[in-house]
Amino acid sequence: MRASRLLAALAALGLLACVGCTSLGIRPLRISEVADQGDAVRRASQQLVLDGLDSAIERLPDVALRQYERAIQVDPTNPYGYLVIARHHIDANDPRRALPFLDQAEALLRAQGAYSPAVEAHGVGLRGAALYAIGEPEQGFPLLQRASQLAPSVWGDGHLSALDLR
Amino acid sequence: MRASRVPLALSAFAAGFLLAVHMVRLDRMVVARFEGRLFRVPSRVFSAPMILYPGLDWKRADLMGTLTRLGYRQGANGENLPPGHFVWRDDAVRVHLAAFDHPSRYQQARDILVRLDGGTIEEIRDLALDRPLGAVLVEPELVGAYYGPDREQRELVRLREVPWHLLEAVLAIEDQRFETHHGLDFRRILGAVWANVQAGKIRQGASTLTQQLVKNFFLTPERTLRRKLEEALVSLVVEARYNKDEILEAYLNEIYLGQRGATAIHGVGEAAHLYFGKHPRHLRISESALLAAIIQSPNGISPYRDPARATKRRNLVLALMRKQGRIDDRAYSESAAEPLHLSAVTPDPGEARYFLDFLRRQLPEIYGAQTLATEGMRIYSTLDLRLQRIAAQVLREGLERLEAQHPGLAVDDPSQALQGCIVALRPQTGELLALVGGRSYGLSQYDRCSQARRPVGSVFKPFVYIAALEPGSGGPVITLADFLDDGPLDVPVPGGVWSPENYDHEFHGRVMAREALERSLNVATARLALEVGIDRVVEVAGRLGISSRLPEVPSLALGTGEVSPLEIARAYATIASGGVRPEIHAFEDLVAPQGYTLERRHLSFERVLDAGTAYLATSLLEGVVERGTAASVRAQGMSGPIAGKTGTSDGERDLWFVGFTPELVVVVWLGFDEPRSVGLPSSVAAIPIWVRFMERAVGKKIRGAFLPPPDVVRLDVDPASGALALSGCPERRPEYFLEGTEPEEVCSGSGRRGAATDGVGPDGRPGGFVGWLRDLM
Repeated sequence: MRASRLLAALAALGLLACVGCTSLGIRPLRISEVADQGDAVRRASQQLVLDGLDSAIERLPDVALRQYERAIQVDPTNPYGYLVIARHHIDANDPRRALPFLDQAEALLRAQGAYSPAVEAHGVGLRGAALYAIGEPEQGFPLLQRASQLAPSVWGDGHLSALDLR
Repeated sequence: MRASRVPLALSAFAAGFLLAVHMVRLDRMVVARFEGRLFRVPSRVFSAPMILYPGLDWKRADLMGTLTRLGYRQGANGENLPPGHFVWRDDAVRVHLAAFDHPSRYQQARDILVRLDGGTIEEIRDLALDRPLGAVLVEPELVGAYYGPDREQRELVRLREVPWHLLEAVLAIEDQRFETHHGLDFRRILGAVWANVQAGKIRQGASTLTQQLVKNFFLTPERTLRRKLEEALVSLVVEARYNKDEILEAYLNEIYLGQRGATAIHGVGEAAHLYFGKHPRHLRISESALLAAIIQSPNGISPYRDPARATKRRNLVLALMRKQGRIDDRAYSESAAEPLHLSAVTPDPGEARYFLDFLRRQLPEIYGAQTLATEGMRIYSTLDLRLQRIAAQVLREGLERLEAQHPGLAVDDPSQALQGCIVALRPQTGELLALVGGRSYGLSQYDRCSQARRPVGSVFKPFVYIAALEPGSGGPVITLADFLDDGPLDVPVPGGVWSPENYDHEFHGRVMAREALERSLNVATARLALEVGIDRVVEVAGRLGISSRLPEVPSLALGTGEVSPLEIARAYATIASGGVRPEIHAFEDLVAPQGYTLERRHLSFERVLDAGTAYLATSLLEGVVERGTAASVRAQGMSGPIAGKTGTSDGERDLWFVGFTPELVVVVWLGFDEPRSVGLPSSVAAIPIWVRFMERAVGKKIRGAFLPPPDVVRLDVDPASGALALSGCPERRPEYFLEGTEPEEVCSGSGRRGAATDGVGPDGRPGGFVGWLRDLM
């Protein structure tokens, strides 16, 4: 039942993605594109985020998580550190743990004036994915739809890979 | 058989039988020991790893000190700098980082060049890959260990990890026929007897390695003939039961090799770390010879205490190695010419013992004291050793300075002395970075940061304001521009009337909410708490992180509840991190001796307060530091984003200061264990300690900013009325509001005007925010 709902949702997202390709066309954020922004501490923290994403791409999720946490230790106000941990927890089938990290990432992004549509796609999409996985499709699906509209190239399949975020 | 020989034969039989029975008993004893847990290995605690990155203040981070404590040595600037060495120049430091086995990832040895630009790191390059690096981890430092009653420290090594020259050195000086004898070396025994007869006293021993091992494992150190016979018998049993490699490995892990403070160092693994700051596999020939040299008398021949004697005996070992064909002439001459390269003595870091105790309490129950003292686990903690050292030092110095300036505080009995504690957290993550629970762990192991619950005084007041500012079902009770009544207050309570007073024993009438907290006014705050509801204040404090039971009485608003400094640190961390309550944790990984992770703590938190209210509270507490009771923080030269609150309990018995930046929360508490008046306000006693800690920890200029979330608006208000200040308003100052709670009234050049509820002012023009906008246009 649940699998069929998910398949249906993904099919719908795929359709929306095609529509979205021609409508919004926002280029979704890649963290490597903002890695050289900010002061030295932020840049070092971003490097650790990128190292963690590399580990995730290499299928070393535990190593990746520690690297994300080190990124936050270096710069606790780095919103991308929280964003990648949220993504990690969703990937690790622990969506409830992802939500506070998403909240914190969004709060920091907004406070730092960095909550652009390019990053919004990931925030909205991750929240949708988390809520969907928790078993709240009524809340999750519209968010996934929104993410798919904003960034169809990434969120068309309802999933944000480490490679896409890197 | 003649009759006279019968008793002799019977006696011989009986003796043989008894000897056989005894040997069986000894065999069981040996097997029980060797097949069971051979060694008790204390579990060790490591600090958080140091992270190097461009922009880091390497002096403040104590890069040189860290490398030295880790046993890194100055090397020559050539092509092949071995791991564990560094070359320091004016503008750069080349470090060949040693490999380390961290639970999150094995770190390979890495040759890096750290370019320095004055006090900061300009660039880090991986020399092998010839590319810049964003961040590099340096291996964690040893913080301490959980010992059993014997306080033995050892790091187990396998024989295959021990370099050949260490084995050869030990055999050369201690037991050159180890490979061929069966536990006893009769040739050596005869030689020793002859030497001792000639000298007329016991000058020479003849114990083999097996005998030394047996003595340490099974027997007492007494020098009696019976004990020597027993030793010989057990040695024969051990040799019969186990092969030479097993015996040698046991010996190398058992042998006593010196002291670190009160801790006995056993085994070559631990000794290599103590004397050379490295694993035995990285020892040089001369270092192996030195370890073998001190086996005879680790304290008498201590290279720290008597380097000349140690060098002489080391060279004796090298000479024996050459004579016995274990090394060649060249190795001998090169090694004998080397000076002693000892690592800096790292005394048992006593200042971290409060932290170690706290960590032990935080571990799951299955890791009890006995398990920790014997299982040899590795615990990777969150402790920042540099901050821990600073905290211990500034607390000690601060208390001594207070006693010098106020002689009435000094007491003869150290157990009755003025005490204090410091705890530092990273607010967003809840990592415990430093914890000093008292001025001397040696005198008192009671941790005043986590075990003591004391009245918090005004440190509690922000919880009252948060309860009033937080939007409930009917909106917030106040905004920061609202006025509170600081007039006389009588509250009926069981047994009488409670009439709070201010610190200056005066009433201040109508005061703005912000001013009331900045000046820490008791009466205004108490009245606000009653308006909000004491139960609601208790609920908010609990939500932020106060877990102690709080009395639901009016005086709670002024901090009569008893709370630990650690709880206060957590609650303020929730404010500092924008309303997200962190889980305080003291360790990240607990690793089994075999290398797999037993327990892991990951970053975890929960939103318990909306970001807007958290920001309003932060802004209030920034005001306390800018203009209020903690203004001396600024006066002492600290700049940048700092928020904080002083607290002084009734009768000046407890002095508190909680200060935070965007990245650090630090609580300082001072007082006597048996509560009595310190006779000073916290601004005089606690703030200077906090400032000294921060100066040394992060510098006088704090990085970053407290950023308001989007639902907080900043508007100018009229300080006299709290109304929005328009262009003509005679006075103005900025204030923060949650969106939708901005003042309805406005102040313009023509005076103060109220706004009608329908958005039309008394003069018929639009009032409130709309009117203000129109005025502006």
